[in-house]
Amino acid sequence: MKRLVSTVSLALTLALVAGGFAAWAGWDWYDAAHDDSAAYATQRDEALAAAEQAVQNLNTLDHRSVDRGLDLWESSTTGELHDQLVSGRAEFTEQVKEARTVTTARVLSGAVTELDDRAGRARVLVALRVTVEAPGDARTDKDSRMLGELTRTGGRWKLSALGQAPVGGTSAG
Amino acid sequence: MPTTRHHINRERRRQERDSRPRASGADPAAPTAHDAADGTDRRAAGSSAGDEHERRHERAGGSGRRPRAGVLAPALCLLTLALGGFAGWAHARAEGLRDDPALHNTALTDLARTSEIKGRTDEAVAALFSYDHTDPGALERAAEDLLTGKAVDQHRTLLADVRERAGERKAVITTTVTESAVERIDGDRARVLVYADQSSAGTAGEREAGEGTYAGAMFAVDVVHRDGQWLVSGIDTFGR
Repeated sequence: MKRLVSTVSLALTLALVAGGFAAWAGWDWYDAAHDDSAAYATQRDEALAAAEQAVQNLNTLDHRSVDRGLDLWESSTTGELHDQLVSGRAEFTEQVKEARTVTTARVLSGAVTELDDRAGRARVLVALRVTVEAPGDARTDKDSRMLGELTRTGGRWKLSALGQAPVGGTSAG
Repeated sequence: MPTTRHHINRERRRQERDSRPRASGADPAAPTAHDAADGTDRRAAGSSAGDEHERRHERAGGSGRRPRAGVLAPALCLLTLALGGFAGWAHARAEGLRDDPALHNTALTDLARTSEIKGRTDEAVAALFSYDHTDPGALERAAEDLLTGKAVDQHRTLLADVRERAGERKAVITTTVTESAVERIDGDRARVLVYADQSSAGTAGEREAGEGTYAGAMFAVDVVHRDGQWLVSGIDTFGR
């Protein structure tokens, strides 16, 4: 009888210990899943990944498939930048077809400078190497120091502004 | 659950029928759910008074829903396994979430550290890539104070040209970081993407109408925190 009681006690103790562990692990899991800085870090990485892809898209264009390229440009952007691309599309298509250039780009490095998680806005730096192939010419490489602004629309980050960092903008003369 | 309860009830009824005539002390059913639920093992005290009390207690409360110990122990074991299983699973999920590579990078999530690294890197780059022919020692001192590891050689190679040019023309080369962003912070190491402008103002004859010439540069700088200071441990000029 004593043996049975102690078996039950032992089982109960083990169950209680297991219950304690389960409660702790459950709380720990909840904590990890609701970590604000984790959510922020995820947004930062998503914004950067979207920025790098979008900047690369906007510096990639093949005169043989301009329409497909420009569709990609438009789907990578939002806001004012998107409007500019749409309104200048016809003219630009003509230029590229005439110049018969193939432009490709490679992202060398990128980083987020500012991130407003709630407003869904971010600012990024993207170091880019653009390669242009024109008929008859050799390939030319050019490095670009891109500055981009992103806006989150419908849960996705898209470029809303893109430009190159000015050189010597504030010369004292 | 209903099946278990039915089973328990049936067992209990049978057990009551069977065991009543016998001495209760010999009854394997004696350890009850009540004992177990108390969480205390009164029998462990071992005193006969305690046993006597227990027996009376059992008889008095015998009409309650008391599963046999033989059922209770396995049930508790199952519960233990279930709880343990959940604990292990939840722990694995939590670890999985924390193992997210995004979390190892504290750039921007740790704002104070991010702006500290950004500020120190901007200063270091300005000091390491500026040259004044009137004070050539400043560059040497900066190199000594701010560089470590392979950055020492990288810096020497990058600056060889600048030193020569500036020395000949008695020029002043000033490097200013125009934009920078911390790509990654992982503990004591970080990587910063830097856009810098380099202006060279010659004091010799060949300058153009007193205007400085500007050149834009972009590179990534690896920094490491050592003895309370951020040192440049690598300069990545992206193969240029």
